Amino acid sequence: MNVTFRRTAVCLATVALVAGCTTKNTGDSGGTSTGDDASTSTSSGPVTLKDGSKVKLALIPGGAHPYFQPWKSTGQQDKTEFKLGDVTFNETSEWDQGKQNNVINSLAAQGYNAFGIFGVSPTDINSTFEDLKAKGFAVGSLASCPAGNANSADFCLSTDVETAAYKAAKATIAAIGGQGTIVHLTGNNVDSNTQRRIAGVKKAVAETGGKVTELPVITDIDTDLSTAQKAVADLLASKGKDIKGIVTTAYNPAVAAADGVAGSKLPIKVVAIDDDAKILAGIKSGGVAATVTQNPVGQAYVGAWLLALLQSKQCTMKDPGVIVDSGSFVVTKANVDTYDQERQAKTKELQTEFASHLSCQ
Amino acid sequence: MSVSSTATEALQEDAPVAALRRTPWWANQRIGLLILVVLLSALFGVLRPAFFNQQLVVFPLLRDIAMFTVVGLAQLSVLSIGHMNLAVGRMAAFSMMITGISYDLWHFTLYSGLLVGLIAGTAIGALAGWVIARTGVNSFVVTLALDFLLLGLIPLVYTALTDNAAFVTKPPGMRELRNYSLADICVGNVCGSPAVPQLAIFAVVAMAVVGWIFTRTRLGRELLMTGSSVRAAELSGIPTARRVIVAHAMSGCLAALAGFMLAISTGSIKATIGAEFMLPSFLGPILGGTLLAGGFVSIWGTLLGTALTTVIRKGLDLLGVGLESLNIYLGLILLVALSTDRIRTVLSERQGVRRR
Repeated sequence: MNVTFRRTAVCLATVALVAGCTTKNTGDSGGTSTGDDASTSTSSGPVTLKDGSKVKLALIPGGAHPYFQPWKSTGQQDKTEFKLGDVTFNETSEWDQGKQNNVINSLAAQGYNAFGIFGVSPTDINSTFEDLKAKGFAVGSLASCPAGNANSADFCLSTDVETAAYKAAKATIAAIGGQGTIVHLTGNNVDSNTQRRIAGVKKAVAETGGKVTELPVITDIDTDLSTAQKAVADLLASKGKDIKGIVTTAYNPAVAAADGVAGSKLPIKVVAIDDDAKILAGIKSGGVAATVTQNPVGQAYVGAWLLALLQSKQCTMKDPGVIVDSGSFVVTKANVDTYDQERQAKTKELQTEFASHLSCQ
Repeated sequence: MSVSSTATEALQEDAPVAALRRTPWWANQRIGLLILVVLLSALFGVLRPAFFNQQLVVFPLLRDIAMFTVVGLAQLSVLSIGHMNLAVGRMAAFSMMITGISYDLWHFTLYSGLLVGLIAGTAIGALAGWVIARTGVNSFVVTLALDFLLLGLIPLVYTALTDNAAFVTKPPGMRELRNYSLADICVGNVCGSPAVPQLAIFAVVAMAVVGWIFTRTRLGRELLMTGSSVRAAELSGIPTARRVIVAHAMSGCLAALAGFMLAISTGSIKATIGAEFMLPSFLGPILGGTLLAGGFVSIWGTLLGTALTTVIRKGLDLLGVGLESLNIYLGLILLVALSTDRIRTVLSERQGVRRR
């Protein structure tokens, strides 16, 4: 027989298991170090970063996605504006929590000490945050908060996805005149954020008191554009005539629905998500009724400023784990040219809001 | 039954061992892989000294190698009989779903939940094996069908039982197992290395048990004979249908263990556990010399094959290779690794011919 195996392996394993091993109770695992005690002084306006040169910031999305592209340029803006030691943007996590943990650890090993992270798995990411905090790094949960009530990062700056989905559903209901059938297209069903989005849409539908009905939610079609296009084509072919509105809360379904409805010439109102050029063009031409945009630039800009304040020990969080909504904005034909000003104003407002959560030297 | 043992010995002693005897040490695939892993580690270490950072690089690297080795062993179990298990990831997800239920609803302890998961994995694997043995349908088709079945079933259960599509109850000891290393295990005053995670012990035990089965037991020999030739095995009196069920049950059990290790290292038990298992499950064993056609397995090879891909990925991560280039480099390095292996084999064959 050709099995390459040595008896030594069995012996080693046996020795390891039975040689009276004891687990040392170190008591230091999972402990958190929240930084130096800063003298407490609350600022009413945005706090100015004194010295960010020792801060090496890593912005880590869950994987490659158009949503995160503004993080790349905003990261560079952060570096020059706040004079940070270094800023990197790493999108190699490939939507796998294990791979993301590896990416984070590799960056930490290279000296990065402040992390803005979009956790792949909202139910797992707190463990990653706890690991990083235990090693003395500043950690912000950006664009998505951990599932449940606890956030182990220093803060979470994210779109309130349930509110954004609620706004999108309200916009859809308004577009169809407050009556009719709508359908919700979204992403990965076994993701807690998707569950929150589904809840947001259901809430808006429930508020109509039965005037608006919702078809079963179509999930798991955000993997790529062709999957979404196929799902939209199937939907329009089977129920196109019954549907008055489509609300989408994920990027690929949004683009696919806008294209699909435009091609089918059906009088269906589509409400999209984010401000991809295709979607904005659809709004201008009237093919897309509205879109709910988020604030990725604000997340990267305010997140970096805050992480630099924390890692440079200039400030500490008064209430670690605080969750702040980075804002969501309904864009229609009426405000398609001006919505970005509203978003920039929100970003400034976020800095002021966070200042009240900080205790600075 | 004496026929079976004679046939086994004949297969065991003659051809392959004789072939091995002719092979010089430097042409051994496992030694080649080991050298490659060491050389690449040294290269990455020189380029990025952070590669040897115990806490941030070596510890998670070994944790990954341990987990994917168990994933590889799960595939190796069925490769031994010339079968495939395309549902290896979903079997892990199914078993962990049962483990999650045991933690969440029945308040089981960490290890009793693991035991329940292992039993569930063994059962689902045995079911796949039973269908294959009973119907004679190719394992590829049966496990693919099972994969689809579980793909539909698992999210349904999670949606019904949880709020966030994950079981978030953490039994005592789960957090510690994630972070503890051998430095936390002491015999007297002598403690282990802080770079080696305690989770690696699971992989060592799995390797030891699987290695013992294939090298020291009649069951293992019969599995390999079934893989070499089902007909010859049947003629030798081996109950091949039962061996098929056993191989798939082993695969399910090991998939469950790998799922448990993943759940521990990421933090919770969720529906997507194992979604990334299928390709690595083949990569480790095949790189390590296990035959797709069955009849030959290599446990050390699986460890080394897994280590090679994991080390390459970690090294490229540290070098800051972007997403576009990472998979290209990974593919190229693997191709070169396999080519050098082939070159070594050809050289050793030529040398053998010249000697004769």
